[in-house]
Amino acid sequence: MNDFQVVADAVHKGDIKTAVAETQKALDKGADIQNFLDKALIATMDEVGERFSKGITFVPQMLRSAKTMQECMKLLAPFFQQGTVKSKGKVLIGTVKGDLHDIGKNLVAMMLEGAGFTITDMGVDIQPEKFVHKAQEIEPDIIAMSALLSTTMPSMPMTIEALDKAGIRDKVKVIIGGAPVTEKYAREIKADSYGSDAGASVNLAKSLLGLN
Amino acid sequence: MRLTEIPTFQPRLKVFNRDQVLAVHTAALEILEKTGFKMEHPGALQMLADAGCTVFNDDWVKMPGYLVEQALQTAPRQIALYDQQGNKTMPLVDGNSFYGPGSDTTFTMDLETGQRRRTVLQDTANFARLVDGLDNMSFAMSMSNPEDVPIEDIYVYAFAEMVKNTNKPIVFIADSGRDIAKIYKIACLVAGGEEEFQRKPFILNYSEAISPLRFPENVLDRLIFCAQKRIPICFPSGSNAGGGAPVTLAGAMALGIAENLVGLVVHQLTNRGAPFLFGPNVSVLDMKSTVVSYGCPEWSLTQAALADMRDELYGLPIWAFAGASDAKVMDAQAGAESMFSIITSMLSRCNLIHDSGYLEYGGISSLEMLTMNNELVAMSRVFTNGIPINSETLALEAIERVGTVPGSMFLTDDHTFKNFMQAQFLPKLLDRTRYDSWMEAGATDLYRRCNMETKRILAEHQVDLKPDEVLSAIDKVCKEK
Repeated sequence: MNDFQVVADAVHKGDIKTAVAETQKALDKGADIQNFLDKALIATMDEVGERFSKGITFVPQMLRSAKTMQECMKLLAPFFQQGTVKSKGKVLIGTVKGDLHDIGKNLVAMMLEGAGFTITDMGVDIQPEKFVHKAQEIEPDIIAMSALLSTTMPSMPMTIEALDKAGIRDKVKVIIGGAPVTEKYAREIKADSYGSDAGASVNLAKSLLGLN
Repeated sequence: MRLTEIPTFQPRLKVFNRDQVLAVHTAALEILEKTGFKMEHPGALQMLADAGCTVFNDDWVKMPGYLVEQALQTAPRQIALYDQQGNKTMPLVDGNSFYGPGSDTTFTMDLETGQRRRTVLQDTANFARLVDGLDNMSFAMSMSNPEDVPIEDIYVYAFAEMVKNTNKPIVFIADSGRDIAKIYKIACLVAGGEEEFQRKPFILNYSEAISPLRFPENVLDRLIFCAQKRIPICFPSGSNAGGGAPVTLAGAMALGIAENLVGLVVHQLTNRGAPFLFGPNVSVLDMKSTVVSYGCPEWSLTQAALADMRDELYGLPIWAFAGASDAKVMDAQAGAESMFSIITSMLSRCNLIHDSGYLEYGGISSLEMLTMNNELVAMSRVFTNGIPINSETLALEAIERVGTVPGSMFLTDDHTFKNFMQAQFLPKLLDRTRYDSWMEAGATDLYRRCNMETKRILAEHQVDLKPDEVLSAIDKVCKEK
């Protein structure tokens, strides 16, 4: 049996109280933090994600598991700062300039976080220059942009162009999504990839960073 | 037996009693008074503040209930939409229900290949032309998000394309104050001037606030423009249960109504008496796929309840949806979901009913499905019209003749010959042929027959053309910067 079975079960069930208490216990006992993160939290979320993709788990249950994991992660935050543990990658995310619809973007952010990525969520209506400045500051592995309205889609190539001008386009992977966005459009504007839904974004991010 | 005139009862669906209506209305007012909302349009913000709202942190507004009651007093209880030739074809009042397509799909089902492909401007033309040729589709809507026109004028081009391909009323989308002004210009060109347009408006704008409780500047620009120009408008936010709104239908309705009423108040403060359609879109967010469902029973249920709220309280014509599906092809699911919303929206007397012909939860538009729905609307009308009772329909004399005269039968009786066209629904596409004839005719399913009928209409139906000078003036407006 997995040493962290109780935590894993609590994350599965979305039992925040137990998960946090058990995480604290593990830390107090001096557990290997990286091992705990990988086995107790990320592995569980991978399973949850898998069950969700297969249509066994419903969105609120999956998000509740993600939220439970986030609460546990708060206790691990100091170890990230010390460099004891590493995230799968840094993702900068936001809806593009002119677009205020953020439900899809929020789902993607939560699922990526559950999969072990570190998320910087810039919110909505993000100007290309803001994406660039933040990217220069935090040096993300992936920039994720979303648009719900066809009229705001042109902000995506504008942002990619701005990254290009700033000389950092080749340092990040750009992924896009949103109702009117298509794979063809992603190719046209030279984004690295497109995800049709929040679930797809996790595999997308992993494969772009060679983690699969 | 002599009968006095008996009015025909027309079956009607009721979902809410008065207590439920009042409870949801009160909850909506409480949201506006206690929670408030984010108003990002400076002009509207000022208007609301001047009218008695309280503003917090620059753009957070709390609205007293009496402003809603005042707006409900001044908004008109009936809205007449005309066709482009000046006929009053859509009186949005009482129990009148009018059906038509939706807007902005990214994909369409290609009529020739049957494949899902990206939409282009020609698709908007085809949908408008098909609407023009279908008796039970009352208005046009773009049905596509064409990829072959400049994105900043996508709605102007789509509107111009509809004007060129139908003379029925048009429900249109716009992005901002800029393109809606161009669309209005085109509408006035078609009507023969602003004054003529004002007398017989043939367009209606669809605009959405963002749930929960967010009112973007460009959306309010459109709302205010429509109020000023008296262009009828509907203002449903996407308060889908579980996504933009609480997962429970009552809360999602209360939130959607609250958002709708903010629109109404700003609208009536801008121009009292300008026409406004009541009603949010309260569907559900699917808990597995996170799509907003177009085939769920809940959306039909909430709009039937909203129709009850109109009857009991608001009195304004109501905006609705029907004839759509989450299916990816026009299959049995598409037929079932389509009919479910068509019959219930009619039975609850929704007035302006859009989105007919949507597949893939609004991602795909289907010409064949619009053609199918044309027949499903006809079928539903038969049901909703009820059963007239009079001496002619009771047909006691015919019964006497056939019952007592040897060798006679109803099929040969004069009464049958005289009445059968009105007495029965005579389907065109729903197949009732005998098996052998069906085999001989190619053993087609409904999709195939709708495909053929759509092709026939697009090839044969003639749309009265606008004069050349109007068409060239429209093209100029499209190209204006």
